[in-house]
Order: sequence, then C-alpha cells, then structure tokens
Amino acid sequence: MTTSNLPALLFMVPFMAALIAVAGGWLVAGSARWIALAALAVTAVLAVASVPLVLTGGPLHTQLGGWAPPIGIEVLLDPLSAGVAALVAVVALLIVGGSMREVREELPGQETVYYGSVLLMLSGLLGIVIAGDLFNLFVQIEVASLSAYALVASGGRGAPRAGFTYLIIGSFGASVYLAGVGFIYAATGTLNMADVAARLAAADPSLVMVGGVLMVAGLGVKMALFPLHTWMPAAYALSPSVSASLMAPLVTKVSAYAMIRVLFWVFGGGTSVDRVLLDMVAVAGAAAIVAGGVMALLQTDLRRLLAYSSVGQMGVVALGVGVANAPGMTGAVLHIANDALMKGALFLAAGTALLRFGVREVSDLSRLRGRAPWTSAAVAVAGLSLIGIPPLGGFFGKWYVLNGTLADGRWALTAAFMVGSLATVGYVLRLIEPLFFTAASGNEGQREGSAPALVACALLALLVILIGVGNERIVTLIVTPALPGGLR
Amino acid sequence: MTLDPGTLGGVALGAPFLAALLILITPARLAEWWGYLAAGVAVTATALMLPSVRAGEPVTLTLLPLTEGLDLRLDVDALGLTFALLASGLWVVTSVYSSGYVRATDLAHRPRFFAAFAASIGAALGVALAGNLLTFFLFYELLTLATYPLVVHKETEKSFAAGRRYLAFSLGGGLALLTAVAWTWQIAGTLDFTPGGFLHLHASGATLTALFVLYVAGVAVKSAVMPLHAWLPAAMVAPTPVSALLHAVAVVKAGIFGTLRVLGFVFGPASLAGFSGAHVLAGLAMVTIVAGSLIALRQDNLKRRLAYSTVVHLSYMVLGAALVAPLAMVGSVMHMVNHGLAKITLFFCAGAIYAATHRENISELGGLGRQMPWTFGAFTVASLALVGLPGLSGFVGKFFLARGAIGNGDLVAFGVMLGTSLLTAAYLLPIVRIAYFPGASAARESGARAHAYAEAPAAMVVPLVATAVLVVLFGMFPGVMNVQFDLAADVAARIFGSAVP
Repeated sequence: MTTSNLPALLFMVPFMAALIAVAGGWLVAGSARWIALAALAVTAVLAVASVPLVLTGGPLHTQLGGWAPPIGIEVLLDPLSAGVAALVAVVALLIVGGSMREVREELPGQETVYYGSVLLMLSGLLGIVIAGDLFNLFVQIEVASLSAYALVASGGRGAPRAGFTYLIIGSFGASVYLAGVGFIYAATGTLNMADVAARLAAADPSLVMVGGVLMVAGLGVKMALFPLHTWMPAAYALSPSVSASLMAPLVTKVSAYAMIRVLFWVFGGGTSVDRVLLDMVAVAGAAAIVAGGVMALLQTDLRRLLAYSSVGQMGVVALGVGVANAPGMTGAVLHIANDALMKGALFLAAGTALLRFGVREVSDLSRLRGRAPWTSAAVAVAGLSLIGIPPLGGFFGKWYVLNGTLADGRWALTAAFMVGSLATVGYVLRLIEPLFFTAASGNEGQREGSAPALVACALLALLVILIGVGNERIVTLIVTPALPGGLR
Repeated sequence: MTLDPGTLGGVALGAPFLAALLILITPARLAEWWGYLAAGVAVTATALMLPSVRAGEPVTLTLLPLTEGLDLRLDVDALGLTFALLASGLWVVTSVYSSGYVRATDLAHRPRFFAAFAASIGAALGVALAGNLLTFFLFYELLTLATYPLVVHKETEKSFAAGRRYLAFSLGGGLALLTAVAWTWQIAGTLDFTPGGFLHLHASGATLTALFVLYVAGVAVKSAVMPLHAWLPAAMVAPTPVSALLHAVAVVKAGIFGTLRVLGFVFGPASLAGFSGAHVLAGLAMVTIVAGSLIALRQDNLKRRLAYSTVVHLSYMVLGAALVAPLAMVGSVMHMVNHGLAKITLFFCAGAIYAATHRENISELGGLGRQMPWTFGAFTVASLALVGLPGLSGFVGKFFLARGAIGNGDLVAFGVMLGTSLLTAAYLLPIVRIAYFPGASAARESGARAHAYAEAPAAMVVPLVATAVLVVLFGMFPGVMNVQFDLAADVAARIFGSAVP
C-alpha cells in the first residue's frame, strides 16, 4: 500500500465496514457493534497518522479508478482536510465507543441497522472532507444525509416526523447546492475544484454569481447556518439520544468545512463574486450568533437548547469565514474543532441524563446533582468553553474570530458577536445551576452513566482543555498551514 | 536554596489553585487545612518578592504560550505586589475566621466553600501578578467564576437571583474588556503593561474614546461604579467570610486594580490628556460617592449598609485614578489597602454579631456593645478609620487623595471627598452609638427579649481584633507605612515618569 491510497481509504474503510456490519449483524447477532468499532478505530488511526504525513510531505492527491482529472474524480488530503478528517474520526470513535450500551438499550433489535447507518454516514462525512470535485462533494453529502435521516427517524415519539422534516429540508439544501454546481459547470465546463478555480476569472460572472449563491445557500442548510437552521433543533431533540450525540458534533461541522473548501479553494480566486459570498456568510454568521444564543436561552428542552447553541457556534464559524482574514479563518477552523468536542461531551451527557435519570427538561438536570459528578464536571468544562472562558478551547476560537472582526474594523459584526456571547452566558448558567447548586430530586441511588459513556465524555472534555492550553502549538503547527494560501 | 523571584510569583499563584483541587479530592475534614497551608505559602512567597520589587529588579515568569506572540505571563511590579500582599495576607486571617464561622453557623457544603474560596484568591493573585492584558483578562474571568459558587452558596431563590445578576454584570463587563483587549492587540500588537501607557503611540480620537469606554465598562463592574454597582449589594447574600474578603477586598479591589492598570499602564497620562474620558469617569465616581452614601444611610441591614459603604469607597479610589495626578494615584493605591483592612474588619464584626446573636439589622443591635466588647471595639476602630480619623489607616490614603485633588485645582473633587468623610461618619457612627447607647425605647425592646449574649467563638474574634490592630498599625506605625508609601510612590513615579514630591 502506498500513501497515495490513503485519502481514498479514509472513506472506503467505513463504507466497506458498513456492508460487512450489516451482513455480520444479520449472521451473528450483536457483531455489528464490534465491526463498527474496529472500522472506526482503523479510520481514526489512518486519519490521525495522515496529519503529520501531509504537513511534512505535502498534499496527497488520488484519482479514483486511475482516471486523471478533469475526467476522473479526484480526492485530496491537504492539511485542512487531514485535520478535519482526524477530528471527525476521533470524535466518532469516542462517541460510538462510549454509547454502545446505550444503543442496546435505546434501540433494541435495531442495532445492526444503527451501526450500518453510522458507518455509512461517516463514510459520507469523510468523503465530503476529502472531496476534490464539486459533484463528488454532492454525492458524499447525499450519502451522509440519507444515513442521517435514517438515524434521526429510528427513534420513537416524534422522531419519524422530525426525520421527515429533516429529509425534506436537507434534500432541498442538497438540490440547491446541486443547482449551483450546474451553473458553475455551465460557466467553466469542469467540476474539479482546482480546475474551476483556475477558470473562474474567464467565466461569465453572472453564471458564477448565481452558482456561487446557490452553492453557499445549499451548504448553509447543511451547516444549519441561520436562517437555514430550522431542521436541526427538532432533529436533535427528538431523535434517539445515541443518534443525536453522534450527529450533533459532526454533521454541521463537516458542512462548515465544505463551506470553507468551496469559498476559498473554488471561489477564492479574487473575483468580485467571492466578496459578495463572504459578506453573505459573515452577516448570516453574526445573525446566527445572536439568534442562536437568544433561542437557546428560551428553550426548556435540554437537547433543543444544545441544538440552538450549535446554531450560535456555527455562527461564530461562519463569521470567522466571512471576515476572511487570517485571524478570522484561524478562529473558524479552531471553532469547528471546539464545537465538535464541546457538543460531543454535552450531547453524551444529555444522553446519560435522559437514559439514566429520565431528564428531558433543562430544569430536571438537578436530578444529576451530586450523583453524576464526573458527567457534571464534563458539562461544566464544555459549558465554560462555550462561554469562552480562557484557557479552554472555546476561548481561542472566539478570540481569533473577534480579532478577525476588529482587524478590518467591522464594528457591527463585533457588536453582534458580543451580544450573542452574553446570551451564551445565560444559557450555560441554566445548565450549571441545576447540576451543581439546586437541591437534588428523585432518582435516589442512580450514579453516573455507563462506564464507557463516562470515559468518552471525560476524554472529550479533556480535549476541550488540551486544545485550549496547547493553542499556540496547534495554531502554528496545524491550523496556519491549513489556511488558504493567501491567509497564512 | 534561593528561588528566582519570578518563580516565587508562580508559587504564590499556584498554591491556592492547587489547594482548591486538593480540597475537592481529599476528605472533607482536611479542607480548611489545605486552605491554611496554601494561605501561608502564598503570603510567604509574595512577601519574599518584596526586596526584588523594591530594588526595581524585573520579576517575571512565563507560564504558557497562549497564541503567537502572547504568553500567559507574570510580571510583578510595586502595584501588583501591593495588591498581592493585601489579598494573600488577609487570606491568612480570613482562613481562621472562616473556620470559626462555618462551625458557628453550621455551614453546609464546606469543601465547595473552601475550594471556591481558595480558587478566588488564586484568581485575585493572578490579576495582581499578570504581566499583560490577556493574562489579566484570564484571571479576571476566573475570579468571576470562582466567586459564583460562593454567592449562591445558600442555594436559596434569593441567592440564585443574586448569582445570576452577579454573572450577568461581571461576565458582561468581561466581554467589554475582551473586546477592548482584542482591539488593542489589533492596533498596538502588544498587550504588555507599560508604565505610562502605550496606547497614545497607536490610537487617537474616536478609537481612543471607544477603547476607553470598553475598558472602563470592563473594570468598572468589579469596582462597582454606578450604574454598574447593583450586583454588589445583592451579592451580600453570600456567607460573611465571602463578603469580608472577596466583596470588600479581593474581587472589588481587582476592579480598582484593573482601573489603575488600565489608566496608568495602558492609556497613561499621555493618552488621557487628549480627551475627556478621565473627566467623565471622575464625574461618575463622584456621583457614585454621593449617591452611594445617601443610599447607605437608609439601609437597616448591616451588611447592605457596609456594601454601599464599599461602593462609596471604591469610587473614591476610582476618582483618585481618574484625576490623573501623581499624589492622587498614591492616595488611590494606599486607600486600596487601607480601606481593605478597615472594611474586612467591619464585615468580620457583622459576621461575628450574626454568629452570636443571629441579628442582621442595625436597629436590633441595641445594647450589644457591652455584651460583645471586642467585636464592637474593633467595629469602632474600623469605622473611625473609614471616616478618616488621623492615626488610623483610612486617613493616609484620603490625605493623599485630597492633596492630589487640590494640586489639580479640582475643588469639586476635593469638596466631594470632604463631604464623604462626613457622610461616612453619618452612616457608620450611628451603628456604634446604637450598640453602646441604645436609648430608652430600644433598650425596652431589647429588654423584652432579655437575653445575655456573649462574644462569638475565639476563631472569629481573634481575626477581627487582628485586622483592627492592622488598621492602627497602618495608620501610625512608620515602619509599615513607609514600605506601603514607597510602593505606592513607586507606582506613581513610574506612571508619571517623575518622583513623587
């Protein structure tokens, strides 16, 4: 095996494992979870190992089937995609490993289907990360989304309905993106990202503009960029908690990555089009920070609160992307990692709260008080990181994005950012108060979640601390090399 | 073995945080002992830095690189050391007092209480020793967070309301501060505290004004300048050791300290001369002084009256900084310490009265003066110090503040200062009078509930007598006063670039 196959392996391993898991689970009951875990462990090792490889040896390009672009499909691993792939694979491994017992309890009899869908979704998400081709990106988005719809709909109560809404809105987003790709193809005659970027300057600007707006809007739906976020709160609040805790940290984050990839590696050619697109994203991001924060403040359902929190945090990412300078982009990339880790820990804790303590409402979190100290501590770390308390990871994402808005003197964006941050204080406090200070009620004798869930939750919280404390090294060694050429 | 003075700073800072961790993970009965140990280590390490700082040697320590070109870094100067000595020294006394208080009032959740207390002191020391704005901001936010569990300690609806208000004000101010710090980083490319300031080299006009508003909003919350003061009286719902050390000394003085740092080491006289920001701040401080005094007069709850008195005296120090005059700066730094000594004594007394009698209102104190002689003796000394009686600690700082105001030709400020002393007398001395000379009606009322009260436990009375003795020492003992004055004068001399007359 040569390293040139590495990019393709990243999504082929979970894809093949999905088929094996379904077959294996059908033959030997309960084998699917071990197949999934093994496949994710292999993927995580490959993804993490690829980061230093790419940083020292340069980007890896692979032509699938041996056909050279522009005819063939290209996948590529550069510092940005390698970093995001490593993040996705590690977080997925932690969460799938941490929720094995919960899957058995929450989805009895559906285990095989669950792990098949999970592996398929990860294959799609990693496919998005390494896509070097606009149409291949669409295909991978659909692979990831279709499995995500299934993961949402597999729950009880309102889950099928939430899954259906997600399907309609998500498919709409994918279609809008695809329509945009059509315009770009019409304008440039190619679908390979690098080729499109090279030909944009000579292309019909109005076709490029329409194509760009449609693509950004389509990806905006997928990353739940306000006001296109409407599918997310219901999907994460009503789906099985094991589905939500896997999807919430990953799906919108990978879509944000796709947004960065398209905006800077396809439209980053210095045309007037990319300025319009970037301003759209920046304004939407600023609005998302305020709206997400305020909506989260108003929720009574725990997972809805966390979902709206993600609307706000994806706004931080979008704001950093939209201001499009070095600090802004550094913050955006960092905050993709931050929100993946924070939401991983928080949704795992929400799963423990639901399955062990029967907590759906924020105010019922007091049932965990004194009985789940480690889970509560993980929530506190992730929550304080959301507020942006130094030296936790979330602080640095916000610090760089804030610097990004200030560097170009965009005061309105700075102001919106501050207002939204204040709302964050409010909704995090609504989690902290019952967990640590309100008199405990009910559920005597119940302690903590399952050991794997606890370990995964604690490791994610630990990573939140570590990427904050190690920020200087992470930025200089990984994030800065991953930025688009003009912004390093 | 000799320790590098910078390492001493790290030890002083690390001890309380380590203690907080140990308190949480070791058996509950060890909690206070970790506190004692850490307090001893912190105050010793801080005191050992004194010779180096007085000699003008650099005392620095880089803890951790935060971002490219920005480190988590300690840089100890005369101002920082003054605040660090105040916080760590009084922590020793408060530790003893807390041990008595938690027993006398049968306080619940003791490990959490002692851990949060230690972490708060650690954060205050971080604020004091911070060498740049980002380090300062980090510990300033940690200070807010670490004190929150103490504010909501009683877990009643009232304490949660106070806690929410506290966080909303403090973290809101923190956001303004963060914005100002990031903006400074963008335009100046440095965040290191520089005596005399550095912003005048990089900004002017509207930018400077906007930065001033953001910075002042950030630090004025903790220094309780109106209209950002409302959290402080509400926070009095916390157990009394918290009100005493944190909400009369460490937290609020972090706001004063921040004001001095921002005005003297970020803006500097050169920037402040160019626009009216300092005048507006001085105006706000004077309004706070007068309005706060009038509100204090109307409070019957003892801790609330003391809280408004704190609001008033904090603005006194803000005023001293905002006058941008060397002598006023000296007065501000000295009053930061002297007010701290007197006010912690008053709160210690309030807590001792509550522990012994369960009385919280001034109108109920009739006749207690003779039953609790040590407590009310200390209370009287501290009250007179705050009024500004010569020979007690409060006088010295006020004296320099007044000289600074006159030197500036600012007679309004001088008038406000004089008036405040009278108002301070008007809201503190009646408490003493009621305690010793209850008068006929109050005596009958107390008589109806005839009850012989005794002093609170020795663990509470000894600390409050000790701080009262400090109030006297800092008012008339030249050895102590000279060290204190030298440090304050050094601060002013560095900021203004000339020796203080």
